[in-house]
Amino acid sequence: MKSTPPSPSNHRGYNRRDALKLMGITLASGLTTLALSRIERHDNSAPNNPSLQNRTSLDPDQQIERQISTNLGTLSSGTKPNIIFILGDNHHYETMGCAEHPFIHTPAMDQIAREGIRFGNTFSPTPLCSPSRASFLTGAYAHKHGVKNNHTPWTGQMTTFLEYLSDHGYATAFIGKWHMPGEGLPEMPFLDRFISYTYREGQGAYFNCPMIVDGQEVPSRKPYITEEITDYAIEFIQEQLAQDEQERRPFCVYLAHRPGHPPFQAPEGISGMYDTADVKEVLPDVVDPWWYGKANRNVFQGIMMGSYYNQYRRYCETLTAMDRDIVRILDLIDQKGLRENTILIYMGDNGMQWGTHDCHGIREPYEDSIRLPFILRAPWLIPDPGNLRQQMALNIDIAPTLLEVAGVPIPEDMDGESLVPILSNPNVQGRESFLLEFWRYFPENTPSYHGIRTEQYKFVEFERGREPWLFDLQLDPSELKNLMDSEEGEQILNELSSIMEA
Amino acid sequence: MNSRGSQQSLWKPVLIVFIIALLSYIIYYGSRRIENQSLHQPLAIVFGTIYFLSIFFGPLFIFTSTYVGGHPFRKRLLATVLIPFLWMSKDVILLMESHPFLECLYWYLNPLTVWMICLLAIEMGIGTLLGRILLQRRGQSTKVVSLAPIAAIVLGAIVFGGIYAWGQGENLFSIYLDGYRWIFGSGI
Repeated sequence: MKSTPPSPSNHRGYNRRDALKLMGITLASGLTTLALSRIERHDNSAPNNPSLQNRTSLDPDQQIERQISTNLGTLSSGTKPNIIFILGDNHHYETMGCAEHPFIHTPAMDQIAREGIRFGNTFSPTPLCSPSRASFLTGAYAHKHGVKNNHTPWTGQMTTFLEYLSDHGYATAFIGKWHMPGEGLPEMPFLDRFISYTYREGQGAYFNCPMIVDGQEVPSRKPYITEEITDYAIEFIQEQLAQDEQERRPFCVYLAHRPGHPPFQAPEGISGMYDTADVKEVLPDVVDPWWYGKANRNVFQGIMMGSYYNQYRRYCETLTAMDRDIVRILDLIDQKGLRENTILIYMGDNGMQWGTHDCHGIREPYEDSIRLPFILRAPWLIPDPGNLRQQMALNIDIAPTLLEVAGVPIPEDMDGESLVPILSNPNVQGRESFLLEFWRYFPENTPSYHGIRTEQYKFVEFERGREPWLFDLQLDPSELKNLMDSEEGEQILNELSSIMEA
Repeated sequence: MNSRGSQQSLWKPVLIVFIIALLSYIIYYGSRRIENQSLHQPLAIVFGTIYFLSIFFGPLFIFTSTYVGGHPFRKRLLATVLIPFLWMSKDVILLMESHPFLECLYWYLNPLTVWMICLLAIEMGIGTLLGRILLQRRGQSTKVVSLAPIAAIVLGAIVFGGIYAWGQGENLFSIYLDGYRWIFGSGI
């Protein structure tokens, strides 16, 4: 968001209370019509714009655009790209080697980031498992798709991107963690394979998790869950490749993993590998090595969690275990010669607070909770592999992005925006703001809230129990100074209100 | 065993455990405000441990003391569950920041309560045996081992261990949340 001082006329007679009231009314009653400022991305810098083709003297941006245009043309002369979307659980956005984590070993994620790009500002507007997962699938905010917390059933009221892809000739597979409430798994006849589990509310288990394969309950074939579901994914891909070339369809695999959900358990060979890792660099000083008590707004508040240092080490081990199986997917894609026409994405469903703000968990509107890891490889789309994109991206952007990549029209009811222009051109401007929304989820001790996050500010209003938050994220990235009761805060609220009004 | 223990011998051990728990709670959480880590860390480790011990094993001391004090089982039980009950009530009150009162009451039924009940059963069994040993040493003619305390220890341990073995408590938590949804729906 561009920070512009309010005009005197705007400021006069429009105090903080008015601003709050306006924002509250706007957020609460008109979420679906919320005019979150969108940018015009498909403008003259779009890769396929013919007006660019005849220029003789090209600046760096134009060279990139020409490169993309050429690459897209190369791909479009062949088949539609394959899609592999891999989802982690509670994965803190910086807990990857490619994000300069001090000790975690994630060679697959690092490879994806090296050969593709990493997004440094990716968010879940509703930092909770089920709503976020529904947002990935539908491209919509939680208030629209209806899965508002982990108790609210999936109704199927919105079409998933997997169904759109299926309708447009893709072989589709959902493999792994579904984890949305409802009676068992939903009917999804458009999927070629639907492999998941409902065990423990759909959370599954790290070891020997009973599976549901195309509607049939079957025992696990491999002890460890990431190995189990990766095997299914590899089998599905190989089945597609075994088809006669004339009948072969492009494929889309949605592969949702359990790591790093508690209780953290890693397989043999990985369990214990971080026993001596120095976690002090990563965890805040407020935690102690032995008895970190769940504090501020946590269930089991005050309960001693045992060695918090070891909990974090075990968490990292589960992520490394997942990464080990992502290596298998990468190897398969590369060995089968699919690298050049397969888009491969890794993301997390929400973040994780490890003691920051004295909190442990995923659902507070702090940056550690709402930020997501997001890496992507698509050789024909990315002119500058190995780089970082700083534009803001959301989980709701995945569905429209994949549809655009597949050449499928993006439905109007999707709230997200395709990231293809940003992938293609690092200089394209991203979104300026997005909505934060959360519905209380028993027994977690976080009230319902809604708010807005811009590139610079975050405003959050709680349904009950807490005063609103207003942070200047550029001056105060750790979110320690609430500006709500300051003159500066009043001015910022006026600016945010004008965004909302727009 | 003397069945007419004094009020002082009933509440004194409760008060001792309560004060230890309260002080260790205050120091443990208060230590987080100390920026000097060489001071914060030892304070947190020591008083975090004491806090944990006072909540989870203070009842053993209370039950043993009140047994030796000669109080009837009803009073011993009341005194023993009081500290864990207060500890859970703290969480119930804190939850009211986010949830309606009735839903907060449901928190009392969470799986940790089941585990705590098992632990208390074990501790009451052990406390009975310890109390009898202490009374014997004081010259009273008391049979140390009997069916009731042994059964409490064994049953408590079986259920406690069984819940842990059955998914480390995750399965029980799933059932707890099923119960929540059955009563309150999604809560919104």
